Amino acid sequence: MNRNILWKVVVILAVLAVFTVAIIPTQNNPEPIKRGLDLKGGTQLVMKVNVNEASRLEVDQAANSLRTQAQAQNIPVPATRRISDMAFVATMPAGVGTGQYERIARDFLPSFDVAKAGNDLRFTIKSAALQTLHRDTVEQAKEAIDRRVNALGVTEPIIVTEGEDRINIQLPGVDDPARVKDIIKTTAQLQFRMVEGAAAPTAEAAYAAVPAAMREQVDILPMNDEDDMGRVTGTQFIPVNKNVPVSGRDLKNARVQKGRVGEPVIGFSFTPDGSPKFGELTGANINRQLAIVLDNKVVSAPNINSRIDGEGVIEGSFTQQQAADLSLVLRSGSLPASLTTLEERTVGPSLGRDSIRQGFMASAIGFALLVLAIIAYYRGAGVNAVLALLLNLIILLGMMAYFKAALTLPGIAGIVLTLGMAVDSNVLVFERIREEMREGKTVRASIDQGFSRAFATIIDTHLTTIISALFLFQFGTGPIKGFAVTLLIGLSASVFTAFFVSRMIFDIVYKPTDRPKELSI
Amino acid sequence: MRIFDNPNYDFIKYRWHATIFSLILIGIGLAVFLTRGVNLGIDFAGGANIVLKFRQDPPIAELRSKLPAATIQQYGAAKDNSVLIRLPQQKGEGDYAGAVVEQLHKDLNPEAAGKHDLNYLGSDRLAALLTQADPDNRGSNPAALEHYRATAKRIIDRRSELGIFTAIAQATQGLSSGAARVVNERAFIGDFNLLNQETVGPQVGGQLQKRAFWAIILSSLAMGIYIWLRFDFVFGVAAMICIVHDVLIAMTFLLLLNLEFSLNVVAAILTIVGYSVNDTVVTYDRVRENRRKIKKPMSLAEHLNLAMNQTLSRTILTAGTVFLVLLAMLAFGGEVIRGFSWILTIGVVSGTYSTLLIVPAVAVAWDNWQQRRRPAAAASRVEPTREVPSTPVRKRAS
Repeated sequence: MNRNILWKVVVILAVLAVFTVAIIPTQNNPEPIKRGLDLKGGTQLVMKVNVNEASRLEVDQAANSLRTQAQAQNIPVPATRRISDMAFVATMPAGVGTGQYERIARDFLPSFDVAKAGNDLRFTIKSAALQTLHRDTVEQAKEAIDRRVNALGVTEPIIVTEGEDRINIQLPGVDDPARVKDIIKTTAQLQFRMVEGAAAPTAEAAYAAVPAAMREQVDILPMNDEDDMGRVTGTQFIPVNKNVPVSGRDLKNARVQKGRVGEPVIGFSFTPDGSPKFGELTGANINRQLAIVLDNKVVSAPNINSRIDGEGVIEGSFTQQQAADLSLVLRSGSLPASLTTLEERTVGPSLGRDSIRQGFMASAIGFALLVLAIIAYYRGAGVNAVLALLLNLIILLGMMAYFKAALTLPGIAGIVLTLGMAVDSNVLVFERIREEMREGKTVRASIDQGFSRAFATIIDTHLTTIISALFLFQFGTGPIKGFAVTLLIGLSASVFTAFFVSRMIFDIVYKPTDRPKELSI
Repeated sequence: MRIFDNPNYDFIKYRWHATIFSLILIGIGLAVFLTRGVNLGIDFAGGANIVLKFRQDPPIAELRSKLPAATIQQYGAAKDNSVLIRLPQQKGEGDYAGAVVEQLHKDLNPEAAGKHDLNYLGSDRLAALLTQADPDNRGSNPAALEHYRATAKRIIDRRSELGIFTAIAQATQGLSSGAARVVNERAFIGDFNLLNQETVGPQVGGQLQKRAFWAIILSSLAMGIYIWLRFDFVFGVAAMICIVHDVLIAMTFLLLLNLEFSLNVVAAILTIVGYSVNDTVVTYDRVRENRRKIKKPMSLAEHLNLAMNQTLSRTILTAGTVFLVLLAMLAFGGEVIRGFSWILTIGVVSGTYSTLLIVPAVAVAWDNWQQRRRPAAAASRVEPTREVPSTPVRKRAS
């Protein structure tokens, strides 16, 4: 074997080794080629973060702080009214100028634009501040989802933001999508608010029972009656104060505990900041009812028996699972805004298993047919082509393992079709060699001519397809992208195998020095 | 083995037959499109798809009465007891499929009250149930949770293997007697198992449509431009028209077979476009080489005929091998990729046909038109201008 060929053999064996290692499952990496959700089973969600809720909250807080500052500075307190998700209007008391309020706005509401309209001031969030707020909201939501998904023990979740207000969540291997979705979507905005009246079967009745002076300051919230299985048996309405003295942000930890009769309850503890706040609230309201509000529903409204510092318990008729899920979302922090599902795709584990079985079977049979056809047609050279094809397959799968590209159903189709292209490269070369032999050239000359003549064609066909695959990758979504990835990798491998590997095998079998007379093609 | 011995077919001769044949096919496609419309999958039309596998024969009539807006059909073979429920787009965003499945689960499993459905729920909730009952006396510690989680996972894995539990004994098989008792007492075998559920809301549907459209247009344009730069303007134009032709023929078959137009189908159509252009490039390449090699003057038609005959074995062989692979995918690939496989199979045949008959037809027609236009164009270059009434005939730069 001459030096040139020896060198090529070394390169090819090295390539073979590198990619074979990548696709052999090991203890640490039992699944070297990741399966997409369509093959593995799992859930993909595209959620929209309702960022307008965050700006609405920001507006409310700004209005609130305008009023508190006015009070603190002994200036008449203006009436405020939210006019959109991004603006509110402050109406000055009669005979009071706007100057002092504009000064407060300058000092305390730097992220708002202030415009004067008669005796009103109109406060609008600055667009830069709004953008930052939206971005932060999406980022916080993403982090909260991340913590929740991890707490659920989902392996290798993918959570990425998309565009301005979307989060794409991929959860492979999840076998209970309904529960996971519930946990992700729970805003978990926990609030501790005072009860201001008796519960009633309808919202109107509850409202009517509140003293007229208090009516401005209460929200009527629903509270479910549940039996011991956690099923809803009825709904009551209960008036609670609008003011939120303590919220979920003040929580440090939450976990499931056993209640007095062994029923599951959620024990929680406060942060160093939250603890005195809660102590003050409970100390000042002994013998009144405290409403524990979760996502605008009253979970329970226990009586305050004594001042509570540091720790507390939420009782409600929870099942074990509900208590566990609730403490999980409380621990992982609330979402800054609610989520809306835009797209959801779930593949159950049974279907995933069927798909991979069938996909594998179809590919194996297709590949076998391909191999038989080539060997039948080209005999010796056909074996050469099949070897090149196998190497192509190993490189393709190895690259996917290195790039952590997921194998999807369209991806399998992409692989099979890439192999078609790889066969085509060989067919082009072989047909060319046959043509040269028909023209009476020697075996060696035919091989040399065949490869060099086919070179331009193969480069052209591959480049055209690679160019289109690049566009598919850039503009495609989901299946189209998965398909483009395998196509791109496979085509690069195909150029390599056709020119390097097939050529080398010919060079070894039909050594130039042997002056071969017969070519099996 | 050889397919052809020095083939010498006159492909150009049949170019009008082929053009008319293609136009008729496309016309049929257009007619179907206008009368029936295209069966848009949820990727583009939005809405929800739900695939449920039932323990026994699916209660199709009951499903229809529960979901009047839905299209309900058998999914896969009859023995699979599976149905595909297709729900049209709803106005707002939200987890449409999930809500429907949950409601169906309640309606079809009246015995569910407070019991755990082994066919519907996943391993996590089963693990929680077992941990709470603690039949193996592991106490309440992380190791106990781990133990029950593994047990639950085993049960759900068995369900995936079987497709669906048909008897509770299948689930309790191999469990400790305590665990089996808990499962028997607290769980039951529900009517169905969720195989697949998809919701595409109005916003996403519109975007997917737009992106798929641009993916097709831009990748086709890019291929056309590459061919133009590498070969000839005529060839670029012919290749582009060939792409349009292949897409339209594929769409015609899609419409005739009433297959769903989905993202997967778009990927399939793009593949056949790639293949067809691949074939075309091989022919062009041969023409280019022959033009350099053969000194005697030949028309474009003669060149194309020669090149196509020279590469005919390769064209047929490559298409044939891919066709074999696709037949295997069609026969064994299962329900999920059926539409995909159909389009590809049809595409390989139509792609080969368009390479051999449509591309040369377009190229020759374009060339002839140019030939006719050239003298005419030269003559019309007599440009009357106001300052100089008559200017000499300018020769067209070639």
